[in-house]
Amino acid sequence: MNNPDRDTGGTTFTAGGGGACDADGLLRRIGRGDESAMAAFYREHGRVVLAQVLLVTGERALAEEITQDTMLAVWRGADSFRGESSVRSWVIAIARRQTRDRLRGRRLRLVDDTFLAEQPSSGPGPEATALDRAELAEVTNAIRELPASHREVLGLVFSSGLSLPEVAGVLEVPVGTVKSRLSAARAALSRILTEKGQSR
Amino acid sequence: MNAGPADTHSPHLDLEDLIAEAAGQPVAAQAREHLAHCADCRAEADRWNVVADGVRGVPAATPEAAQPGPPGRTRRPVMAGRWHRAVLAAGSAAAAVLLLVGIGEATGFVHVNLSPGAGTGIALTAVGGCDQLEEASGTLVQTSSGGLAIKTASGQQVTLTTTASTFAAMSGALLGDIRNGAPVRATGYSSDGTIEALIVATAPSGASLEQTHPSLPGGVTVQGTVTDAGAAGFTVVTSGGTRVPVTTSDYTTVTVLNVSPGQLQPGTVTVALGFSGANGTLSARAIVQPMIGVVLSPSGMQRHASVSISSKTAHDCSPVDLAAGELGAGG
Repeated sequence: MNNPDRDTGGTTFTAGGGGACDADGLLRRIGRGDESAMAAFYREHGRVVLAQVLLVTGERALAEEITQDTMLAVWRGADSFRGESSVRSWVIAIARRQTRDRLRGRRLRLVDDTFLAEQPSSGPGPEATALDRAELAEVTNAIRELPASHREVLGLVFSSGLSLPEVAGVLEVPVGTVKSRLSAARAALSRILTEKGQSR
Repeated sequence: MNAGPADTHSPHLDLEDLIAEAAGQPVAAQAREHLAHCADCRAEADRWNVVADGVRGVPAATPEAAQPGPPGRTRRPVMAGRWHRAVLAAGSAAAAVLLLVGIGEATGFVHVNLSPGAGTGIALTAVGGCDQLEEASGTLVQTSSGGLAIKTASGQQVTLTTTASTFAAMSGALLGDIRNGAPVRATGYSSDGTIEALIVATAPSGASLEQTHPSLPGGVTVQGTVTDAGAAGFTVVTSGGTRVPVTTSDYTTVTVLNVSPGQLQPGTVTVALGFSGANGTLSARAIVQPMIGVVLSPSGMQRHASVSISSKTAHDCSPVDLAAGELGAGG
């Protein structure tokens, strides 16, 4: 480690610091090797990234590794941020690529457009009733049973704090496609809840 | 807002408005007004809220232990996994990990970075910047004669020879090695005067702690002598007599410096540095079981591991200087 030993005669001290600043400025500081900026960045985005990756992978240990790899990529590539998207979108997109790389070769597919296109859109009907009646724990468990592609879009929209246009940017699809994927995901969720309700 | 399918004269909220509402994002005043008076849209918004709440509940509902993965999944050793959990629990500590593994060379230190493929096919690897110094990395094993050897990723075994001056350090869940009277340096986050330690370095009583030590952005470090060592932590008595309580947990990684080579733990990732001896042996000047970021995968060692040798003169790798030098783990 190249930091000099900061102990000062055995007294306690606070290292780093770094107050809050705008996201772009934070990345510029990271690009200059500012450790406290990296810490602030992690505090700002780490939990969201972990939640999103965890939602997609369903494996906590793997999600933690991917999150760390994502943060490592941020540390190394902060200079590559061009400001063409929000920082949150940028880091989520990095996490998505990291996730895809790690899942490559596994059966799990993040996005299967053919599959998604075949799903009926959600609308009022029996499936809506399943959502009306469902308990939160049931919904959470049902979401974990969804295909990764559905979990991904749901997480990006409801957990990552991104707007629909930002989600579209991360997924590299039009906003309309995001909407159709959301509807398909909700329809699939409703079907799972319906099936579970019928089996009780 | 769009026209609803059931009544083209009565506009309903479109999906974007409903999603924004469920996601807690700003919604136009007109849309909010409509939502207050349209039962259909309220019901639809409630359904999306149910979905949103379910999504947010998934991380908490996902078990800590990973589900069995399919063949080929990269597995990391317990040490790395513990650290990952530690940094995620501690927040900004993650940055420390990144910095520890990501920062390049520093004046006065020789860094040995283990990169993908390191050790593969070559049991001994020359250390950049040090013509004579070589390293072997892999898993520590005991030889049939009771000595130590390193089994590299390629399966080769490098026998280590040691002397009384060979520096050895080990890291891991070694809370039991924090003993009263021993020198200690604890790094973590301070809360109400107590340090929740993530990183602890200690050594046998009377030994030196003059080693490199990772920093923790936003964290605090205290150095002194251990007293009141127990299962939940210990107290550091500084040179000025100040007593600082330190708590430990499963997330605390302990590095014990200046142990005898015989105390090193077989089966653990180990890095040895020294000079080539007879028959492919390594005359070890330092043997370290690194503290953080050591990664094992089916393909062998990967990045995230580095050790640093500090010497009396910067980048002087002569045997004499190394013998007098020091080696710290994790930096």
